[in-house]
Amino acid sequence: MPKVSISGSGCRPFIGEQTEFEVEATSFRRLIKELDARFPGLGEHVEETMAVAIDGEIHQDAYGLQLPPDSEIFLIPKIGGG
Amino acid sequence: MNFVANKSELKVVGTRPVRPDGIDKVTGKAMFGADLTMAGTLTGKVLRSPHAHARIVAIDASKALALPGVKAVITAADFPEISSEEAAAGDGAVNFRHMAHNVLARDKVLYEGHAVAAVAATSQAIADAAAALIEITYEVLPFVIDVEAAMADGAPLLHDDIKYNGKPSNITKRVEFKLGDADAGLAEADVVVEGRYETTAVHQGYIEPHAVIASVNPDGQTQIFASSQGQFMIRQYVSKILAMDIANIRVTPAEIGGGFGGKTLVYLEPLAVALSRKAGKPVKMVMNREEVFRATGPTSGGVMTVKIGAKKDGTITGATIDIALQAGAFPGSPVAPACMCAFACYDLKNVRASGFDVVSNRSKIAAYRAPGAPISAFGVESAMDDLATKLGMDPIALREKNAAKAGTKAAYGPVFPEIGFEQVLEAAKSHPHWSAPLGPNQGRGVATGFWFNIGGDSSASVFVNEDGTISVVSGSPDIGGSRASMAMMAAEVLGVPYEKVRPIVGDTAQIGITGMTGGSRVTFATGMATVQAAEKVVDELKKRAAMIWDISPEAVDWKDGEAVPAGANAGGFDPMPLAAIAAKAGKTGGPIGSEVSINAQGAGAGFGAHICDVEVDPETGFVKVLRYTAVQDVGRAIHPSYVEGQIQGGAVQGIGWALNEEYLYDKNGRMDNAGFLDYRVPVASDLPMIEAVVVEVPNKRHPFGVRGVGEVPIIPPLAAVGNAIKAAIGVRMHSLPMSPPKILAAIDGKA
Amino acid sequence: MPRLSYAAPASVPDAIKLLAGAEGLAKVLSGGTDLLVQLRSGRTRPELIVDTKKIPGIIGIRETEDGFVIGAATSGAEIGENAALVAAYPGVVEGTNLIGSTQVQGRASLAGNLCNASPAADSVPALIAAGAVAVVVGPNGQRNVPVGQIVIAPGRTSLAKGEFILEFHLPKPKAKQSDAYLRFIPRTEMDIAVVGCGVNLTLDANGVITAACIVLGAVAPTQVVVEAAAKAIIGTKLDDAALAALDAAARAACNPITDKRGTIEFRTKIAGVLARRAAKIAYDRAGAR
Repeated sequence: MPKVSISGSGCRPFIGEQTEFEVEATSFRRLIKELDARFPGLGEHVEETMAVAIDGEIHQDAYGLQLPPDSEIFLIPKIGGG
Repeated sequence: MNFVANKSELKVVGTRPVRPDGIDKVTGKAMFGADLTMAGTLTGKVLRSPHAHARIVAIDASKALALPGVKAVITAADFPEISSEEAAAGDGAVNFRHMAHNVLARDKVLYEGHAVAAVAATSQAIADAAAALIEITYEVLPFVIDVEAAMADGAPLLHDDIKYNGKPSNITKRVEFKLGDADAGLAEADVVVEGRYETTAVHQGYIEPHAVIASVNPDGQTQIFASSQGQFMIRQYVSKILAMDIANIRVTPAEIGGGFGGKTLVYLEPLAVALSRKAGKPVKMVMNREEVFRATGPTSGGVMTVKIGAKKDGTITGATIDIALQAGAFPGSPVAPACMCAFACYDLKNVRASGFDVVSNRSKIAAYRAPGAPISAFGVESAMDDLATKLGMDPIALREKNAAKAGTKAAYGPVFPEIGFEQVLEAAKSHPHWSAPLGPNQGRGVATGFWFNIGGDSSASVFVNEDGTISVVSGSPDIGGSRASMAMMAAEVLGVPYEKVRPIVGDTAQIGITGMTGGSRVTFATGMATVQAAEKVVDELKKRAAMIWDISPEAVDWKDGEAVPAGANAGGFDPMPLAAIAAKAGKTGGPIGSEVSINAQGAGAGFGAHICDVEVDPETGFVKVLRYTAVQDVGRAIHPSYVEGQIQGGAVQGIGWALNEEYLYDKNGRMDNAGFLDYRVPVASDLPMIEAVVVEVPNKRHPFGVRGVGEVPIIPPLAAVGNAIKAAIGVRMHSLPMSPPKILAAIDGKA
Repeated sequence: MPRLSYAAPASVPDAIKLLAGAEGLAKVLSGGTDLLVQLRSGRTRPELIVDTKKIPGIIGIRETEDGFVIGAATSGAEIGENAALVAAYPGVVEGTNLIGSTQVQGRASLAGNLCNASPAADSVPALIAAGAVAVVVGPNGQRNVPVGQIVIAPGRTSLAKGEFILEFHLPKPKAKQSDAYLRFIPRTEMDIAVVGCGVNLTLDANGVITAACIVLGAVAPTQVVVEAAAKAIIGTKLDDAALAALDAAARAACNPITDKRGTIEFRTKIAGVLARRAAKIAYDRAGAR
């Protein structure tokens, strides 16, 4: 079961001070649905505003991204550029 | 295609051919945003607010409309109302309601220069006269410019619907990133440094002002030709702001004279389209330099407090940064990336970065090369320098002691994969610049920086022409030499000379959706799409050769631009060059080509370290930059000259930001220096040659190892220059720009 | 609608007639490096532009037995290439050559720089310190005016309607006389002077200063001739005490403003620094002649 850590404070309106979860999910899409089920609105917020880092690689907008079973997943704000 | 680890296998990638757009650009033939003409084009002109903050009571355009030659006038009434909606578009979330209100003020003007109305007329002179005839009744309101003043109780409020902690406020949000317990970490330090730092708004300073020509047909089909970092962005934003179908909008990106993030959004395009729709003729709009300064988006200024604590041996035990950035008239300063990048170079167990986003009555900020990161880096890297001094440590050694590496948990959360920070520090340390002697009144400073680099949506096509030459179409406007890199990567995969591959940048109808050129993503993401398209073409070429030879496709290999039998068993065929296969394409199945659209993942972070030598005139505070070396890990340099160019350009912008650039406001809240005369960008004679040192720690997720280069180089210069000045005059400068009067005051204050 | 006429008279009388007879605002076009910028920005809206460059003699430099005659519309580039002028008045030339940039130098003229009447004009302090005279022509004939009396306020000259400058006269320098001009800007080019200082010195055979003129720019509404600074160094060999007195006198004469280019405090300080440095350069040059 992947361990998910949320970086930054953007999710506080949905989850309060908690920043770590274990989530039963093998894909990013599944992860969004699970987070939404537990904290209504959080899934959509994550999907729209956050990127996911697995093993240090950052992925943005990747429903199909596979989450390895015991991976450490970080959710960080989406990054733009200039 | 798997990552090519061995550089010596590469034949085209890593060489320095002439860019395909070079001749047009140096002879003046290149078509920039203002260069396209269409029959019957009208000239558009924007009327802008003279007030920093005011309610729009009434707009009377009757006199303007009565002027002969005026064909249309628009105000916010011509734009659809957009409800408060956050819509994800591209990188990060865009609030189209705010964007629409920035393009054309509705109800209130929020900064001097805010667009209030626009006219289209048959000549510039008539358009100017008409704009002057539009009568606007304003109710002038108190304004606030400075970030701390905007945060204070009782400050004039810009937006009724912005609240913080339940109260109406100019603070739009607070962000926080932390690991461990920063306060506890600071408490166990042997040495602590603390400093407050201030920066001001600075502009990207692109030489080419915004320019667009738009033509709307009666059936709604619309053509836009514009200077921009994203043709698909323009298409999408115009469609949202004006409630038009995307299919009806075709956007062609012109050659661009610089963007640096400032052209990743729209200002004139919705106006030109709305005017063209009303007037029934094409409308061209070009900003003058004053408008660029007053009404486009500089980057934020702000204030920050940095605290770093370390043990005597240099190990950092705790670090914090608290920063407030001004976003301009609408929310959206880069305070989150400023916090995320602030300590990203270092392996820290206890760190906290927090920040406020604050609105105030100045132009809405836009992205500028690694948005937010240079600002926080100024504070952090200055503090690191003070820490090194207090510890009696060499500044590079202090960074090496705490350097992030593969496996380090980044200050903003994720664990770093393979990165090149240590290699960058090593290259800086061993560079002759680091040990060169210095003379009187001279000082040397070093500073480092980090940027994520991003991937994202990219599309590219590769076509085989009848004679075996290749056409490459990609969706990324070329602001740094990227189309040359696309051609080089395609040539490498196909095994043909670079001169046989001609790249173009496609418009929105010619190529698949591609995200903006920015975020240091094009060589990485669009390169990846180009490589994949070229690989598909290679597969197809092998199939066609197999057909011609009448053998199985598995029996064909591709080598140096030719199909060859895979082994002796395949048959004793002579190699078949690409041109020969191309000539028979019609008979073997039809034209050969491929398009790839991807969302490129796995972008690799970049690190840089800059060394700066300055000489300070102790009687005037004048700073001369004597020598500048910029070291950066770029993953792999596809075209080393353009990679070096990016490094040099970013360094120069950072030096200008450090020394002389600032937005100055008068007592009425109007920008006082809205021109290059008094907004002081470095001129060529101000700077020595910037020596760019390219380090390559490849990002294996990209077939050639690319990380992206454009943004990292603007991050270290602010503190590199500040640290050099500290070394020269013995005083720490806490406020940018470090202009001569401030330096002289610091020298005299010390005496 | 705005109207704009352009004329390029080929003689002084024709030019005077056009300027004197103009109904609306008429501007003289010399090099145009100020006028064209102001036209484009809307800062000035003349109805008539009189281009003087076709008038014989208005472009060119002549050396006479009395000194130099410099045509009013001569470009900075041409001034910088005149070896005799550079040798006699290195300060006037270096001040002129600081205007703008290499491209601007191809057109910028002494008359234009003077009549634009900016307190920060780079060619003016050294011209005043050199005792230059402007030959003014107009409907009431010709008059010779010391350059320091042309500018009366920022943006305003003492020229009457119909008048313009035809040429500048510089006296032949004495045996051991030379000059220098320094300015302070935050970059290395393209800035308006935060402070400018022109110094003209005459030495005797022993290196003692017998005559001096120190002129500051950008520290007051018009250029300032600092008599006290001259007195502080006349009779000295520019030793440290003299330099300190010079510095103090220069600072005391300042009446600057605080604007986006400099504060009162900074300008005042720099005035003293530049006066010292320019005086030293002029002293060395004079001694080397």
